[in-house]
Amino acid sequence: MTDTIKEQLSAFLDGELPEAETTLLLKRLERDDDLKGTLSRYSLIGAALRADGEVTAARHVANRVRAAIAIEPALPATAARDFAARWLRPIAGLGIAAGVAAATLLVVPQLNPAPGSAAPQFAQEMAPAAVPAVAALEAPALDEPAPAYTTPPAPAGGGPLAGAQFAAYLVAHSEFISPLARRTVIVAPPAESPVEAQAEAQAPAATTPDEEGEAR
Amino acid sequence: MTRAAALAAAASLAIAIPGTVRADDDARAWIERMSRALAEESYSGEFEVESAGKAETLRIVHRVRDGRIEERLTSLSAGGREIVRNGDEVIAYLPDQKLAIIEHRRDRSGLLGRMPRFGPEVERWYEIVLEGRMAALNGRYAMQVAVRPRDGYRFGHRLWIDEATGMPVKAELSGADGRPLERMRFTSLELRDDIADAELDPGFDRRRFRWVRQVAQPAPGAADWSVPSPPPGFRLSASAIQDMVGTPAPVSHLVFSDGLVSVSLFIRAAAPGEKLPVGAGRAGSASALSTIVNGYQVTAIGEVPSSTLEALAKGLHRAPDGRR
Repeated sequence: MTDTIKEQLSAFLDGELPEAETTLLLKRLERDDDLKGTLSRYSLIGAALRADGEVTAARHVANRVRAAIAIEPALPATAARDFAARWLRPIAGLGIAAGVAAATLLVVPQLNPAPGSAAPQFAQEMAPAAVPAVAALEAPALDEPAPAYTTPPAPAGGGPLAGAQFAAYLVAHSEFISPLARRTVIVAPPAESPVEAQAEAQAPAATTPDEEGEAR
Repeated sequence: MTRAAALAAAASLAIAIPGTVRADDDARAWIERMSRALAEESYSGEFEVESAGKAETLRIVHRVRDGRIEERLTSLSAGGREIVRNGDEVIAYLPDQKLAIIEHRRDRSGLLGRMPRFGPEVERWYEIVLEGRMAALNGRYAMQVAVRPRDGYRFGHRLWIDEATGMPVKAELSGADGRPLERMRFTSLELRDDIADAELDPGFDRRRFRWVRQVAQPAPGAADWSVPSPPPGFRLSASAIQDMVGTPAPVSHLVFSDGLVSVSLFIRAAAPGEKLPVGAGRAGSASALSTIVNGYQVTAIGEVPSSTLEALAKGLHRAPDGRR
């Protein structure tokens, strides 16, 4: 199989193959079982999208790929690296409560200190339990410079913004996120952080909802 | 289920080919259609968000009944965080923290928040282009729509909108140079009329959670703060004074919008003896920045480049007498 065909398959799975080429590819798929097999391998089939009686050429692709949306290959590593400027490293892992285009994707990150300013303090303040997750999920090329957009240097001094506080900010902000960009990640706050303890003691509006009355 | 009756626009798009630039009403119509579909349809599905070299998978269940939106978002990755919306109440569950943050929405716009309204105001800052009609793997077609920023204060967006349903099957956020920063795509998505109550319940034991309610009081101008010279196109669109988790005193919340995306500024005073944290980071499609202005901690969050956050945060002024 030629690389051209592979590229076409890949573009097809990305939904980015021009219509004219799509037609040709589909015709070829109909008579080429090897190609069909390759396509199946290229694609991971998610749960089925309900077919609404839409009859299109792509339906002929293969039974195996019917009514599914392909999971595409990951973003090119370069894009990911560009995106992951070292001091913008996301404190990943600590999970995501998110929403999408459809909803509010909320992930709460830690705000990282400026490079060279408070890194030791930052590391120290991370909950020990969280460290392995962070290490495991960090992008591989965090030391690469050049974010894809200009970021201002953070002021010196200070530590990370507390996770619980940041989560609260994101929840409040989520009301205003455009449907175009409703993907905001929330990484968990460090467990038992001092700031959270403070929240517990002082949050003026802490309450238990009625329906959760048995919770206490 | 017949979805969304044939779009008038669709016929005229059938011959569009990738690369064709059609800055036209069709592109706007598709985005508006997507916004409506997201708000008005009932659906469940899983989607993946990729950014900074990692991917997270999330599940969404969205039900609209009698005009009331219920929604549950679950992280299928570690942590199990969930966000559940029931009408105008939103609860963010952070199970590893045993913390639940409750917030009441002031409006009825639903989880969708503000719908983009395209017009001269927005299109002064963005070019909206229908880039083509693409075959998707599932035997369907998706309309590819780009929202391109006209300057460096904004991000670009590209959306692939299912032609039959108006649902976004994929979306990309890109920097000023057009390179993708983040990508979301549905791996499964089903429009359903049979979503059961149980599917909207959090999937874990909430009995030992600490519940914190955030209450926002509308406060025009959030009292004393203003940004006299915001970045081009950004204007104050909302403000409130709010009790929030993790902060001992109420926080001023100002929202600036260019008509399409919003930036929140959270302003709070230091507690006695507190060293206010500063720094910058990213959360999904949002950038975040904390800095100090007039001795107050200002945290800016928004789906814009960090330079825009900085311009807003550092442009804050506080009237000494409480008036602007």
